[in-house]
Amino acid sequence: MAQHTVTVRGLVRQFGPRRVLDDLDLVVRQGEFVALLGRSGSGKSTLLRILAGLDRDADGEIAVDGTVSVAFQQPRLLPWRRVWRNVSLGLHGVDGREVAEKALAEVQLTDHAQAWPLTLSGGEAQRVSLARALVREPDLLLLDEPFGALDALTRLAMHRLVDDLWQRHRPAVLLVTHDVDEALELADRVLVLDEGRIVAEHTPPAGRPRRHADLTELRARVLADLGVVTDEAA
Amino acid sequence: MSIPVLTADRTRVSSAAVTPTRKPRRRALSGAWRWASPVALLLLWQVTSSTGILPDDKLSSPAKVLAAGVDLATSGQLGDAFVVSLRRVLIGVAVGAVIALALGITAGLSRWGAVLVDPPVQMLRTLPFLGLIPLFIIWFGIGEEPKIALVALGFAFPLYLNVYAGIRDTDPQLLEATAVLGFTRWERLAHVVLPAALPQALVGLRQGLGVAWLSLIVGEQINADAGLGYLINNARDFLRTDQVVVGLVVYAGLGLATDALVRALEGRALRWRSTR
Repeated sequence: MAQHTVTVRGLVRQFGPRRVLDDLDLVVRQGEFVALLGRSGSGKSTLLRILAGLDRDADGEIAVDGTVSVAFQQPRLLPWRRVWRNVSLGLHGVDGREVAEKALAEVQLTDHAQAWPLTLSGGEAQRVSLARALVREPDLLLLDEPFGALDALTRLAMHRLVDDLWQRHRPAVLLVTHDVDEALELADRVLVLDEGRIVAEHTPPAGRPRRHADLTELRARVLADLGVVTDEAA
Repeated sequence: MSIPVLTADRTRVSSAAVTPTRKPRRRALSGAWRWASPVALLLLWQVTSSTGILPDDKLSSPAKVLAAGVDLATSGQLGDAFVVSLRRVLIGVAVGAVIALALGITAGLSRWGAVLVDPPVQMLRTLPFLGLIPLFIIWFGIGEEPKIALVALGFAFPLYLNVYAGIRDTDPQLLEATAVLGFTRWERLAHVVLPAALPQALVGLRQGLGVAWLSLIVGEQINADAGLGYLINNARDFLRTDQVVVGLVVYAGLGLATDALVRALEGRALRWRSTR
């Protein structure tokens, strides 16, 4: 039996009268790349915050095996620490200049190690944030719409980078997004969340990198799950 | 693999660099012209004094003020007075800083601290604190203590308000990001909350020092037997307006010097902001 990095059973999260997560089950296997799609308000970010340990008011069985790292939609770098120090924050206490620089090299930011975060572009800052998450060698990498605030060109480059880093380090990944193409391009498994439950599961073709043309039909089905009718589905 | 990432970022930069430049409509005046009117006023002052229009016992001429300054400096009177006044400010600021930081950090970090500390401080702040002098004289007598207390009080309020506000404004997203990395409450305080509050705290420091000098000048009117205030009061008794002006100029210089010091401190501590 494959090891499970995330095991969630009967998860309920209530905000007042509203059930944001309603008896949700989820399993993420070791090294598996899972994308979680959903409209805004579907509870996907709530689920990620619970797995990150930022929300402790949920009921149900939640088991996460190993180290967890998070990359948020905003890079959330400390502006008063130089770039490499922001990365070494991920090591927590260990003054790992060398390790930090190695992680920066992996996101092609070696030259910016000494820079202040406010001098970086949006894409660069987000890559530092990725380096900070990866430097911990996490067993589970949580990505909360990390490309949502980037322009289209930078976003495409980031997809390639994340794919590359995942193949090299093999953490289990849970990517929360509302971008269907992103999910289909990157994930082993695509889950659709609606009204606090997982309502559909899709498996894109195994090869990587995936060609856009091979995904057209699947894309239409996922969009239909999300309540969007396209020409292909009609 | 590295190519798409780099090209994407370059595209962003180059598009920002082509903003059209606008020609200024009028030729800029040399900065030296800003000195023209102050120098003219100084000359006017000297001329009115020399011709007797401005009598010496109302206001001495700039030349006489300069001479009096040199006199007081060489006799050592000015230096002694300067040291006494500076000492009062330094002790007062130190006492005020301890109080303001303790209260500001307590109120900023804990909900109970905010509920219990902030209301009384806000109420006291509305008191015109220079009006407390009669009480201070009753409590502390007429020695050094009421002068130092006045400086400490004047300095503490602006610093408290800014430290409190600075801590409160810490970005909760940064606190979350470090919590995920396993930072404890104290580590988050050291790495996130205090650095985040620093810019605002330095604004408070600058405001507070301005008030501290003002408090000193007023406090030194209380039966002083040393210091710049004593020097000025003494000069007044002998209608030495030249010496009064010397004292005022030194006060002004001290205020400017401390301001420059804090600015330098800001430039050093807030390097990460200036590179934007």
